[in-house]
Amino acid sequence: MEDYLVGGHVACQGCSASLGLRLALKVLGKDTVVINGSGCMTLLPVYPTTPLRVPWLHLAIENSGAAGTALYYALRRKNIKANILCYAGDGATYDIGLQSLSGAAEKNIDMIYICYNNQSFGNTGHQRASSTPRASYTSTTPVGKVEMAKDMPAIMAAHRIPYVATACPAFPVDFLNKVTRAAEVKGMAFIDLLVPCPVGWGFDPSEGIDIGRLAVRTGMWKLYEITDGRVNLTYIPKKRRRVSEYLRAQARFSHLSDDDIGAIQAEVDREWDELEARGYEYELGI
Amino acid sequence: MITGNGAAAWGARLARAEIIPNFPITPQTAIIEEIASWIASGEMDADFLPMESEHSVISALAAASSAGTRVFSATSSQGLLLMTEMMFVTSGLRLPVILVNVSRGLSAPITLWSDHNDVLVQRDSGWLQMFCSNNQEVLDSVVMGYKIAENSGVLLPMMINLDGFVLSATREPVEIPSHDEIDDFLPAYNPKHTILDPKEPMSMGGAVFGEYMYFRSQQRMAMQNSKSVITDVCAEWEKMTGRGWGRGLVEPYCLDDADRALLICGSESATLKYTVDKLRKDGEKVGMLRLRTMRPFPCEEIVDALSDVEEIGVIDQDISPGSGGIIATEVKACLGRNVTSFIAGLGGRRIGVEKYEKIFGRLGRDVEEWIF
Repeated sequence: MEDYLVGGHVACQGCSASLGLRLALKVLGKDTVVINGSGCMTLLPVYPTTPLRVPWLHLAIENSGAAGTALYYALRRKNIKANILCYAGDGATYDIGLQSLSGAAEKNIDMIYICYNNQSFGNTGHQRASSTPRASYTSTTPVGKVEMAKDMPAIMAAHRIPYVATACPAFPVDFLNKVTRAAEVKGMAFIDLLVPCPVGWGFDPSEGIDIGRLAVRTGMWKLYEITDGRVNLTYIPKKRRRVSEYLRAQARFSHLSDDDIGAIQAEVDREWDELEARGYEYELGI
Repeated sequence: MITGNGAAAWGARLARAEIIPNFPITPQTAIIEEIASWIASGEMDADFLPMESEHSVISALAAASSAGTRVFSATSSQGLLLMTEMMFVTSGLRLPVILVNVSRGLSAPITLWSDHNDVLVQRDSGWLQMFCSNNQEVLDSVVMGYKIAENSGVLLPMMINLDGFVLSATREPVEIPSHDEIDDFLPAYNPKHTILDPKEPMSMGGAVFGEYMYFRSQQRMAMQNSKSVITDVCAEWEKMTGRGWGRGLVEPYCLDDADRALLICGSESATLKYTVDKLRKDGEKVGMLRLRTMRPFPCEEIVDALSDVEEIGVIDQDISPGSGGIIATEVKACLGRNVTSFIAGLGGRRIGVEKYEKIFGRLGRDVEEWIF
């Protein structure tokens, strides 16, 4: 599979967001136009160089949905057949860009929106976002975030778009299958892609894939699809790892006591018990 | 007989604008409603994109223009301000977007009526700015706007302003050129430099380090180039339609022998012209200079037109609190002499012939005077 994001760019060592983009472009191929919302990935092309072999447009942080909508119609007028990929961070998706994204989803624009989710405003140095999980340290939640993260996939599914999924580059085949599916569906596809961030989360750049695997194998980041409102788990950990393995490996959770971690474990266990009781495939009820 | 809003819509239709992102706001809404009805009836071939905010409208304009389509939208007041961030992005990416603004005073307090603070907030955004005095000029300026903005020596977006209600909702006789005439005048848009096409991949809107100032100087140069392009395009339009709108940048009225003159922009110039005629019948040597473009600011043209005039006043339908009338400040800087600054017509407050007569009687002082 060809690469359309090539080496030599300035993303951090061990960056899973650039890995996610590289994987997605392998599937989508050369007939793809990328819209980027301001964030870490915006620094891939730095004048006069670019590591991208497909067209790339960055406008601002909060308007990828609007830009993708217009691009869809403009390319159609120009008789250009291309995948439209919006690649924006979680701050740009869950928070400041939610209105624009919702507008595009309501119109069911035929595009693929991948939110590379490092659970914070990463590019500015790891500040709190509505995607930040409860208890995580960020530079603006110095004693840990109090609130839970938004359920963004459910919000997107509530727009009745045909395809919603979660993914993580540490499970590349699962992710590539989901990008393939996203490109196939007619209408909007949304993928929430967990990208462990060595700088913001506090782990060694060599450990990004391990951390991603732990996020999924502890059950803290579920891999699933929502196709036409029907949820389907695409990975079920046979024996879930203890959340302490995941949490203790990251500086952002280093302030947690054993009791705090116990409470998180209990919550994760309760969620999975409910899932098991319901079955791993079910109607979202939207 | 069509309204100013109708004239703006006709301009977009004649220019064969292809992508129309939009969001309603008084007093602009009739423009997008008109276009929606034409697209629905098949009279206009374009995609109508109802967006979720004006910020999304300008983002859509920029993205669609980046893909090489001709784009159009209209906004007003608060809507224009919500676009502010993207106004700079659009001009920085050198996209020839045409945006009509139907001017309306800014909140708070709320007003629906016209003044020019909304446009002037965007003065430094790198957009060409054009003020229209009547509905015919609105239609003509939209069509000419594409030819100016798409010129390879310019490649800057243009904002075309018409005054809310006074023009937007008032019917006037407007000559509508034929599609054939306009197609000859304005060929299809084919961008030479930037386009989002997988056959020719390029990265747009990236970061720069030391080169930032170089790009800004390119924008400045484009703005300077636009002056002669505006003049040329207006001359070509005049040959075709008989309407040249002054010299393109300014419209002088009765200035040849004037000893007193007022500088003004927009639809108020009509009442001022009437006042000039009236006073001239009484033997008073008064005149008027109408500013058509705020950007590029026509400094040389203003100096040319007003250098022999003894007493000059500027009417500002805007205010920069803590500084003064925005246009007066710029005119003073360009003339290097004092002018009397009149703040009038804020939030559509009526000025009228009597007040203009009074204003002509109060020139020759280096002061700011509010005309309530």
